Amino acid sequence: MEYFKSGLKSVLGGPQPGAQPTGAETIEKLVDRVTSSTLLEDRRDACRALKSLSKKYRLEVGTQGMDALKQTLEVDRANCEIIGYCLDTLCNITSSDTFEEEQDLLNINIGEQFTEIFIKNTDNVSLVLSFLEEYDFRVRWPAVKLLTSLLKNKPKDIQDIVLVSPMGVSKLMDILADSREVIRNHVLLLLIQLTKGNANIQKIVAFENAFDRLFEVIREEGWLDGGIVVEDCLLLMLNLLKNNTSNINFFKEGSYIQKLTPMFVIPDNIEELGWSPQKVSNIHCVLQLVRTLVSPNNPVQITSVCQKNLRNANLLEALCNILMANGVPADILTETINTVGEVIRGNLNNQEYFCTVMAPSNPPRPAIVVLLMSMVNEKQPFSLRCAVLYCFQSFLFKNEIGQQQVVQTLLPSTNNNTALTTGQLLCGGLFSSDSLSNWFSAVALSHTLIENPAQKEQLLRVLLATNLGSQPVSLLHQCATFMQQTNKLQSKIGLLMLLATWMSHCTQAVAIFLNVPGAMAFLTAQTSATEYDNNEELLQGLCAFLMGICVVFNDNTVANYSKENLSQLIEKRVGLEMYISKLSEISRHEVYGRASKQPQTKAKYPNDLILEFEYCKLFKALESVIVKTLGAQKQLSNDMTELSLSEQENGLLLQYKDVIRDQDRRLQDLNKDLMRITQERDNLQVQNEDLRQSNLQLQDENTLLKAQLSAGTVNSETLPNTELPDPDLLLKLKQLEKEVSEKDSELEQLHKDQDDLLELLTDQDVKLTTFKNRLRDLGENIEDEDSDNNSIDETDVK
Amino acid sequence: MSYAYLFKYIIIGDTGVGKSCLLLQFTDKRFQPVHDLTIGVEFGARMITIDGKQIKLQIWDTAGQEAFRSITRSYYRGAAGALLVYDITRRETFNHLTTWLEDARQHSNSNMVIMLIGNKSDLESRREVKKEEGEAFAREHGLVFMETSAKTAANVEEAFINTAREIYEKIQEGVFDINNEANGIKIGPQHSPTNPSLPGAGGQGGSQGGGCC
Ligand SMILES: Nc1nc2c(ncn2[C@@H]2O[C@H](COP(=O)(O)OP(=O)(O)O)[C@@H](O)[C@H]2O)c(=O)[nH]1
Ligand SMILES: [Mg+2]
Repeated sequence: MEYFKSGLKSVLGGPQPGAQPTGAETIEKLVDRVTSSTLLEDRRDACRALKSLSKKYRLEVGTQGMDALKQTLEVDRANCEIIGYCLDTLCNITSSDTFEEEQDLLNINIGEQFTEIFIKNTDNVSLVLSFLEEYDFRVRWPAVKLLTSLLKNKPKDIQDIVLVSPMGVSKLMDILADSREVIRNHVLLLLIQLTKGNANIQKIVAFENAFDRLFEVIREEGWLDGGIVVEDCLLLMLNLLKNNTSNINFFKEGSYIQKLTPMFVIPDNIEELGWSPQKVSNIHCVLQLVRTLVSPNNPVQITSVCQKNLRNANLLEALCNILMANGVPADILTETINTVGEVIRGNLNNQEYFCTVMAPSNPPRPAIVVLLMSMVNEKQPFSLRCAVLYCFQSFLFKNEIGQQQVVQTLLPSTNNNTALTTGQLLCGGLFSSDSLSNWFSAVALSHTLIENPAQKEQLLRVLLATNLGSQPVSLLHQCATFMQQTNKLQSKIGLLMLLATWMSHCTQAVAIFLNVPGAMAFLTAQTSATEYDNNEELLQGLCAFLMGICVVFNDNTVANYSKENLSQLIEKRVGLEMYISKLSEISRHEVYGRASKQPQTKAKYPNDLILEFEYCKLFKALESVIVKTLGAQKQLSNDMTELSLSEQENGLLLQYKDVIRDQDRRLQDLNKDLMRITQERDNLQVQNEDLRQSNLQLQDENTLLKAQLSAGTVNSETLPNTELPDPDLLLKLKQLEKEVSEKDSELEQLHKDQDDLLELLTDQDVKLTTFKNRLRDLGENIEDEDSDNNSIDETDVK
Repeated sequence: MSYAYLFKYIIIGDTGVGKSCLLLQFTDKRFQPVHDLTIGVEFGARMITIDGKQIKLQIWDTAGQEAFRSITRSYYRGAAGALLVYDITRRETFNHLTTWLEDARQHSNSNMVIMLIGNKSDLESRREVKKEEGEAFAREHGLVFMETSAKTAANVEEAFINTAREIYEKIQEGVFDINNEANGIKIGPQHSPTNPSLPGAGGQGGSQGGGCC
């Protein structure tokens, strides 16, 4: 502080007699010195002083000194010391942190507001970027820090500016090679922020050889054992790849998958070494990275090539080794299971490999068996059990052979193998007292049947020994009985999903089900119930759906429950309207929306496990078929001999209705948004106008005062500090102006969206009308609910 | 998998001239009549052989619209080759070549090989730019020239491969500094003079597949 004071003295030319100058006065003088002094040393000292004051008097330095600092950056750009001070000062005043020595916390967002002022002229950002090219630490380092600070406050704006500023991204990439670690590491962090959610920047960064550089750094730092820098490198890679097909393609084409290999080398004595928290974080990132490459959301051809490359690079093997290693922390294990699942999902070779993996247990067991043991074990962590289910589903996905292998283990066999099998584990779980195990097992078992008619029939042959002495019963019979007996919702739902998958497209299974005592009565009672507790509406929907499957896939072999009888049962006991509304409960339910998003069942708590992805798909495919069949049956019973709609036509009609309903809703939402935003904009405009007025007024006053001052009519004591308009007001004004323009563009976007939607809607209308016409031509009688407000001339369509 | 050299290309030119279709024809050997509008840039890759040497081409297909121009510029510096494409059925895309060329020359390294391409040669009946005009423009500006059709695949292979050959020859002549990655050229793993031995690292045993480090 003493040093600083003496420094100031030299700058300000000695202490003034009398009172100490205030901070604001000091800064005013310093700024004056920076802008007008012709001596380089003078300017330099003033800048240094400004820098040291910029934390304590942030507001004053920012409001009075910003322009001077910018000017210096241009004028004195050859002098590294001065530039360093300027950049540091800017860094302080735009910082989003609050400094200890900072006095009055007028405005928490002061750093953000100075950022906004600074970047308003985008050339300023380009200027800072250009300082990255200066190798001198005194310049490059604060330039990196300043960019970080600006980015933190205004991420979106800075991304846009950097993107269009010539070679902006390239300059940052260049200094990733800086041998001074502090700079390199900081740029790494900067790039992580810069690439977040911006595909264009991500692609340029990849183009600039980012993956090569990052692997280089990771190697230098010691792969998995490296410190947080390794994690940062991986996070940046993740940013570059997430949802960026072009970059994933580049990653795969550049053979970077192979370069991941050393990341998976787990030493044999890992149990003694233990897993440091950093190592845990690092491996989590690597697993995320692998999952990004093979995500089910990627285009299929990309995922399958990545899956193949992962296997060829022995990474699938390495992942399975982690799976079977001892002492792996549960969260890593869970994520590894999920990762293995996505690496094998839908890829026959990888699935076959997975099938052969053995666990080093005694006796040795297939990894799949060991995993399923965890799934049906109540004591295992919930997330781990979910992961096993996902992995198992992935193993069976588009894998007829795998499906057959699992079902095979349940069939009465010739060999007396006593080893525990996948099928046995699932059957055990299916009827255990743990409702979660019931649910997991039911879903897992249903995946052995998806799109596999042969296994649906094979599974019918499975017999279970029940109580001693009594006759063995079939698995399907037991499922239908257990569904009625259990009082746990989760178990019931699990079994209903299994039965639906099993019985769809399988008349044999339906026939057996119809013969199970009480089964049909149970479904009817549930479907016709008019009251329900929480989630029971879903249960009723699932029952209705299963009933529908019994109608559609009915070969009339069970006399009491022929297609016709069942249809009448629904018509009389439930009513078609009521039935359809029960059915639609399923797709209306929020858990349906959640489950149909992605194949992985994502749940925080055990109770969240209700519907499952593949079941939702089945429902979507069959709902309209059921409704159509029931409608046709009704017509038949009404002695209507006309042919009804073809299955396909009806499906299409339902689809269009869905689309229109959906669009109606979105249109309404958009209209609401539009009204709200218009309102907001009007308000902002009024506010803005007010502020403009008061600003003008202040400026007038200011001019007046200046005039008075020069005329010497005003005592300088009374002169208010109006060099600048009130900084607070100015900031607020700028912010408001920005908000207004943002709202304007939002509004415009919404208008556009709305137009698009209207166009779509018209399109759909036309199609629907065509359809109706075609249906009419086919002799179908359809009530024309919206014919009167249909503005399209029907004769024009064709 | 392994290659002797890796070249980076960019494809530039007005929107709609067929840049994305050319890339798709080259990488996937198919034509897509309705191609999505390119947003920013899209990546594609393929291996070719020149002089018995495997050469990996990494290609960035750019969006032609003005709005993406500044993004596109970020790709010039690191590219070894550029395909500058116009549409022979739309005169204005030919007229804009000068602007594209200026932009490319200003932002790229001076050795970048530029191939001028008049695309859609299958649409002879709608031709607005004579082949001779393309040749003249190329001669005047020192470019290689070719007419192609992304639809029939005519000359598509040749366009990409001849560009690679030019680059390859420049390397042989020592014009390109191949150790500077910013030139858009990389030497393949097994060719790296500093690291001739086999990679020692790798997983625990049984490492098959790619031999690169
Ligand atoms: N007849 C014909 N059409 C082409 C050819 N190349 C592209 N097109 C069509 O031109 C349009 C624009 O192609 P596109 O590749 O998207 O152009 P880009 O904007 O330059 O990427 C598409 O409708 C293509 O089907 C070609 O060689 N012959
Ligand atoms: Mg395109």
